[in-house]
Amino acid sequence: MNTRKPRFYLGRSPRIASTRRGFLQLSAAALSGAVLSNCARNLADVSSEDSTSGSAAADGGTLNVYSWANYSDQELLDSFQAKTGIEVVVDTYDSNETMLAKMQAGGGSAYSIIYPSDYMVTQMIESDMLTPLDKSRLVGLENLRAQWQDPVYDPGSAHSVAATWGTTGFVYNPDNLGTTLTGWDYFWENGGSLNRQITLLNDVREVMGGVLHSLGYSYNSEDPAELEEAYNRLVELKPAIANFITNGWEDQVSSGDVLVSMAYSVDALSLVEENPDMEYVIPETGSSLWTDAMVIPKSAPNPDAAYEWLNFLLVPENAASLVGRLKFATPNEVAYDQLSDELKADTKLFPPQDLLDRCEGIAPVSEEATELYDQYWTQLTST
Amino acid sequence: MSTSTPTPSVVPAKTSPGWQRKLGHLVGPLVLLGPPGVWLLLLLVVPTLLILQLSLIPGIRPGQPMDSFGLGNYLNIFQPVYLQVIWRSVFFALGSTVLTLLLGFPVAYWIALMAPKRWQNLLLVSFVLPLWTSSLLRAYAWITILRPTGVLNSFLSTLGLPTLDLLNRSGAVFIGMSYSFLPYMVLVLYASLEKLDRRLLEAAADLGASAPQTFWKVTVPQTLPGIAAGCLLVFIASLGDFVVPELLGGASSMTVSRLIYNQFLGATRNWGLGSSLSMVLILAVSISIALLIRYGDRDPENFS
Repeated sequence: MNTRKPRFYLGRSPRIASTRRGFLQLSAAALSGAVLSNCARNLADVSSEDSTSGSAAADGGTLNVYSWANYSDQELLDSFQAKTGIEVVVDTYDSNETMLAKMQAGGGSAYSIIYPSDYMVTQMIESDMLTPLDKSRLVGLENLRAQWQDPVYDPGSAHSVAATWGTTGFVYNPDNLGTTLTGWDYFWENGGSLNRQITLLNDVREVMGGVLHSLGYSYNSEDPAELEEAYNRLVELKPAIANFITNGWEDQVSSGDVLVSMAYSVDALSLVEENPDMEYVIPETGSSLWTDAMVIPKSAPNPDAAYEWLNFLLVPENAASLVGRLKFATPNEVAYDQLSDELKADTKLFPPQDLLDRCEGIAPVSEEATELYDQYWTQLTST
Repeated sequence: MSTSTPTPSVVPAKTSPGWQRKLGHLVGPLVLLGPPGVWLLLLLVVPTLLILQLSLIPGIRPGQPMDSFGLGNYLNIFQPVYLQVIWRSVFFALGSTVLTLLLGFPVAYWIALMAPKRWQNLLLVSFVLPLWTSSLLRAYAWITILRPTGVLNSFLSTLGLPTLDLLNRSGAVFIGMSYSFLPYMVLVLYASLEKLDRRLLEAAADLGASAPQTFWKVTVPQTLPGIAAGCLLVFIASLGDFVVPELLGGASSMTVSRLIYNQFLGATRNWGLGSSLSMVLILAVSISIALLIRYGDRDPENFS
């Protein structure tokens, strides 16, 4: 009997990887090759995000705004919708770098209005992420004070409309602290007794800049020796620092867990209004004078609604009522005149000129200096 | 009388029916495994490969072209500050593993061996119930408890005891992480303890072993695979945990996950370094999973 082994074509052919392990290996290799070769240009090189898909969206009904936490409230959104019929959705971020990272990663293609700070506007202009504004569509630009019609960070205000400005200082409860705070020096004089009871902003330029300024240098210093001195001062202060936090310090300082919090004037004055025991102080050596401006990114899906938003906020009455509710300083001259005397006299909201002269704006620094700042910041926060 | 006329006893290769039969066999597994397979592929494998690609371009920042390849990002990790951060992550993970083991073993032992049979499932479910809430909320709850003016200190001061300064330190991270991962440990230990053969315990008692001796010489070796599995599970989970160190850790508790977050969304925007740190973390977790498969899955009877 001739019983030759039946030869079915079932798993013995060497031409294709027919065992399970072989199949998995082959598919893994093929998949990796396909993915890696196709994504050669895609992932990091997204600054030239296609705006064609953006302009094709004919969504006249919704405006997506990417803003800081305390810049809009429901009343503003309702009155905007009542006037223009456009619904507004606001997303918030707590640092310029987070916003920039999201925009550059392509995740911000839904936003038509963004509120970057002054130095970030310059950076975004250089990265070609903003559309130049069509001045003919804007009404009321001349209401802004002269320094914001042609600001340093955006010559001629070609890409941005200044929305708010303010200072950076400290919030504390004078009863808990026991004394009045005047500036940064308090921390180093009393560092030993402050056991993780202060919080600083989670922002490298504000914190390093603030210490530099208290030492007499510029907020935008690029001198390695000066930076090292500021870094050493911060390391000295490290045991007193509870956390680097930009939003969310309000509960801690109100309840007394934390004695002093570094804060932006907008957030600080909102808290002071809610809790009159708290006090906001601008360091006497001067703080950073920041401006947040409204810009329209290149990938904006609804530029028409964006212009409506800009025009709405340039109307003096709207700006003035917003200041009254949200406690930020407005660059709008006509709106300032319409404010109540109580608000105009608030020296924390509108500091006197001699204090403003001691304040300095944060500007972009060179790439080597940025590297140095980053290195010191990583070492400060990692150890 | 074997009429040995050589008959072609082999069936000639019928490709069509065999091919169709093979395909028919594939339909079932494909339908069941297809959707999760595609999901895993698109949401796990492909992003990991993209991160791998990013990590091989030294110093890449968003907006830059991806042209030069090299190992610069990996070499960059070998700086003292980053190694310290990695060590701190491992330290937190090891600490919370030990804590969860010490806290979870008594609980699992009690539920599996000493609680009334009727209540076992209910007790287990009630222990796992906190997992149903978001880990972020649970971490925030610990802030409320551990703050200088929080629940714990109010309780201690009403009793006249000195207050504890726990928040924004490593201690709070250990507490938060152990709390977050305790249910996992209890579940795995319970599964292992439930399979324990009671007759072995009886036999040990018969042979004159005291209770501690029975525990250490019979129970623990028998549940060693479960202990290993639970420890590795908690270690893997806590190695990559972001929420607890970020909320409870304060300024001096930088872990690998927070460092990666800072690279991607912080001022440095060094996506290259962030990607290489991510790959290192994935490697560490993969090694732990390999250990888990090797040592955590064994049947107790296979132990010599």
